[in-house]
Amino acid sequence: MKTTFISFIFLLSAAYGCSDIGVSKSDSVASAGAGTGGSMARFTVAGNTLYLVSNTTLRAYDVSNSKNPTPGKETKLGFGVETIFPYRGNLFIGTQTGLIIYDATREGDPRYLSTYNHVMSCDPVVVQGNLAYVTLRNGTACRNGLNLLDIIDVSNLTAPRVVKSIPMINPHGLGVDGNVLFICEGDSGLKMFDLSNPTDPKLLQHITDVRSYDVIPSRDVLIVTGKDGIYQYSYADRKSLKLLSKLTIEPIV
Amino acid sequence: MPSLQIKLSGLLLVGVLLLHSCNNNRVSPTDTVPDTRDVYRPIYSSYDAVRSIQTLAPRPIRQAGKIYIKDGFLFVNEIGSGIHIVDNRNPEKPVKLSFVSIPGSRELAIKDSILYADNAVDLVALNVADPTNVRLVKRIENAYPVTAYPPMRNVRFECPDSDKGLVVGWKKSDDKNVNCWR
Repeated sequence: MKTTFISFIFLLSAAYGCSDIGVSKSDSVASAGAGTGGSMARFTVAGNTLYLVSNTTLRAYDVSNSKNPTPGKETKLGFGVETIFPYRGNLFIGTQTGLIIYDATREGDPRYLSTYNHVMSCDPVVVQGNLAYVTLRNGTACRNGLNLLDIIDVSNLTAPRVVKSIPMINPHGLGVDGNVLFICEGDSGLKMFDLSNPTDPKLLQHITDVRSYDVIPSRDVLIVTGKDGIYQYSYADRKSLKLLSKLTIEPIV
Repeated sequence: MPSLQIKLSGLLLVGVLLLHSCNNNRVSPTDTVPDTRDVYRPIYSSYDAVRSIQTLAPRPIRQAGKIYIKDGFLFVNEIGSGIHIVDNRNPEKPVKLSFVSIPGSRELAIKDSILYADNAVDLVALNVADPTNVRLVKRIENAYPVTAYPPMRNVRFECPDSDKGLVVGWKKSDDKNVNCWR
């Protein structure tokens, strides 16, 4: 009876609230604000600005009215730009030669702060607290790179400095959520690290049978893209990942 | 005829960019060493076809690219062709709801109910509030320069010909007789 009543209210609110699009609010992408992308993203929304990085530039679009993106400032960045990660009013831009930091507190008008240079590599970046985690990968697209995780102290945004470099196998995307860090090792699997000490990650688990490229960790669920599928794991238990589901990637015929 | 003018000037621009890029990338005639690099050829589309965005039934994921989450929905880029929308409110049972065909797309981000994606040379804003009925709300034409080369490095490729349309992707090819490289 109770269920019927709730369903009735649900249907009523659905019919009332969103008759123009035919689904209830709970069935739609409707909340205000931005979502969350992976570490390989080249598009990101920070506040009321959409930032796009191309190979050489950072482009700002005003999206105060999300339905009406309006072109804004274009900033030259150099070359080999790969990823953008917004964090606490700053933009962390991964390039093939280093990490570039911009202050984005003035909406749409990013101000250059600093560059942390490293060897030529592919390098997505994520940030938590005062630390940036950058993976450096050797590969055909990035030539002479090394395979490393660099931990960079960005407490002074104008003078980032590396505090630790940890060898990796073939690191691609990465994700951080509180006391846990995930690193995609490409064909060599997926790693989960304990980050209780943020400058000293301790390997908790290495799953070798998943080919992984990028991750989004959110609310104890890790979404992983790989060559064979999109895997979802629970990391509620920090000791071991629990597979929740897999969306199969089907071969091109 | 403003739209035709835009298209023509767009094509002209493409042509200029292509010529410029290919000149830089021509194999020199003295290059006689056997070449084992992978070869790619462009996949062309007309501007009209590229600018047609449709919500289609769910389809298999074949080449997963960037991912994005918002309000319990998961968005998966199908490299170069569109975005799968997945109801992921129960991560143990993700359900594919639709495939939004966006030729040339590789990137995405969302604010409120609006998804921003690259649609070849354009930037598009799509209302995804109802994932089964995605609607275009704004198109910014020629927001991107045309890329006249494949994203892979150390490859050879057939030099794009702007008369054949807009390059929306690259396909591996067995044809060894190509004149561009990077």
